[in-house]
Amino acid sequence: MNRRRFPLLSYLLVVTGAVLTVVPFLDMVMTSFKGPGESGTLPYRFLPQAFDLSNYRAAIDQLDLPVLFRNSVVATAVITGSVLLTSSLAGYALAKLRFPGRNFIFRLVLSTMMFPPFLFFIPHFLILVHWPLAGGNDLFGRGGAGLTVSMAALAMPFLVNGFGIFLTRQFVLSIPDEVLEAARIDGAGEFAVWWRIVVPQTKPVVVTLGLLTFVDAWNEYIWALLVSTANPDVMTLPVGIQLLQDYVDPTRTMPIVMAGLVLSILPVLILFLLLQKYYIRGVMLSGLK
Amino acid sequence: MVNTLTPTTTERAHSPGSAGLAVDGRSRTRRRQVVVAYLFLAPTLLFFAVFLILPLGFALLLSMSRWAGFDLGDIDPVGLDNFTDLFADGSTFLAPILTNTLLFALGTVALALAGSVLVATCIDNLRFQGLWRTLYFLPIVTTVVAVGNVWKYMYEPGGLVNGVLNALGLGSVAFLQDPDTALPSVVVVQAWASVGSAILILTAGLKSIPESYYEAAALDGAGPVAVLWKITLPLLRPSLLFVCITQFLTGLQSFALIIVMTKGGPGDATNVAALEMYRQAFSYGNWGIASAAAFVLFVVVLAVTLMQLWIFRRKGEDA
Repeated sequence: MNRRRFPLLSYLLVVTGAVLTVVPFLDMVMTSFKGPGESGTLPYRFLPQAFDLSNYRAAIDQLDLPVLFRNSVVATAVITGSVLLTSSLAGYALAKLRFPGRNFIFRLVLSTMMFPPFLFFIPHFLILVHWPLAGGNDLFGRGGAGLTVSMAALAMPFLVNGFGIFLTRQFVLSIPDEVLEAARIDGAGEFAVWWRIVVPQTKPVVVTLGLLTFVDAWNEYIWALLVSTANPDVMTLPVGIQLLQDYVDPTRTMPIVMAGLVLSILPVLILFLLLQKYYIRGVMLSGLK
Repeated sequence: MVNTLTPTTTERAHSPGSAGLAVDGRSRTRRRQVVVAYLFLAPTLLFFAVFLILPLGFALLLSMSRWAGFDLGDIDPVGLDNFTDLFADGSTFLAPILTNTLLFALGTVALALAGSVLVATCIDNLRFQGLWRTLYFLPIVTTVVAVGNVWKYMYEPGGLVNGVLNALGLGSVAFLQDPDTALPSVVVVQAWASVGSAILILTAGLKSIPESYYEAAALDGAGPVAVLWKITLPLLRPSLLFVCITQFLTGLQSFALIIVMTKGGPGDATNVAALEMYRQAFSYGNWGIASAAAFVLFVVVLAVTLMQLWIFRRKGEDA
């Protein structure tokens, strides 16, 4: 078409940009295969001399990768599951049920998106420290370390997501009332209506929201860092890898760090490549909130 | 709506008589809906109470208190002292920290916007659009720890960037160690990581420009620069504005990348407001100062957010 008039210049620009985007990833992968003394030395070499797989072995052992992996998986699974469940329940109630306070609650949900996350790091941490009757605390939250020493602390501040509720509500609005009424006449309670009709009908938004939440939770760093400082047993992948990077000589262990990074980004990368249509739609929707 | 008049069999069984049965059934259904709605909303409301409203109050209280961080009974109210301390002479909060925050956000927006406009308009001319967009999207799904570490390594004397400079016959640059280059170096990485989503939003904007405009321009013999300047950019303005403001908001709040790459150093060269808040609280235990810093940043973020809402609401009325 007429738009496509200068393909050569366009190709040049787009390919240059794509190379700039991909090269750091390639450098990460290449470095992860470099042997001792091969990285961080001059002159710079992009390709490894011998593909040394021992860095991956070392990353798994030195980082205690299986434990980090387990913590990341559990936290991510709990967060994603909870966000999907609460978004669907609240989204249905706000879209289709009549009750006093509905507008107020909907506005509350919208307003949660206005508060930036950094505002909550301090109070969330202090609330978890002073959680009553947990981690040696008394009824008034005094005396112990509270929930900061438990795995729950990793997930708790992320269990409900205002944007998720908003997104699901908009989607549920498009389900015709007649369909819901028909189910009610057939004797279905509200819970059955939700489970048998609303949940199946909202599958596309569930996949999109689930993927967005999964990627965010898997990549979360700052909060996991805070919680892991209080209790190293609940350290997640990003925190563990960063810690290794901080304490060791960059010329010797950089390949091991890179191997760990490659392993840590693989799950999201695979999921993204398989379901990118849903993820991209999610980013566009969340951009337009 | 007609259907609500017909009570279900269970309701009929409980109804006292046949008179007023329909009305009774409907109000019963309605009452049941209220209970169910609140049951469905209970986890959400409980969460908002504990993790939204309580923390906001707590943060506000702390921002106006001095507290060592142990016994909740020891919180000592000091009014606005923390805020005056932040802006007192000799405080590093206004300069360089808040200045860095603005420079970081502005730099990121400028670079990401320039890059995404170029790439998005060019991708629109090409085949395999999906493939290109996937490539540009990779940094977005990658953890900040990976992005930060790879770039930190690439900036090292023996890393890729200096390797390329050396190959071109130029000397090495201590990107992250030199106070003059540290902030721009991190800005480049933040922009690199956010170009993908900007491209996505701009592409959506480009798709909505009617093909006929380009056909008319071609008939008039307009060159590529004129087409970009006179047609594409003006019609893309809402998307551009949107990308600008959202990226600016993200930039104001970013600090994870900085923690990973420089920890705010050298000196305070890459220190930003959110990082200062984080360090005051979790490194030095100055909960009051930290909370005050958080609120100052929040006011800046809120002002930009309200401006965004205002601009887009006005746009909506114009349309």
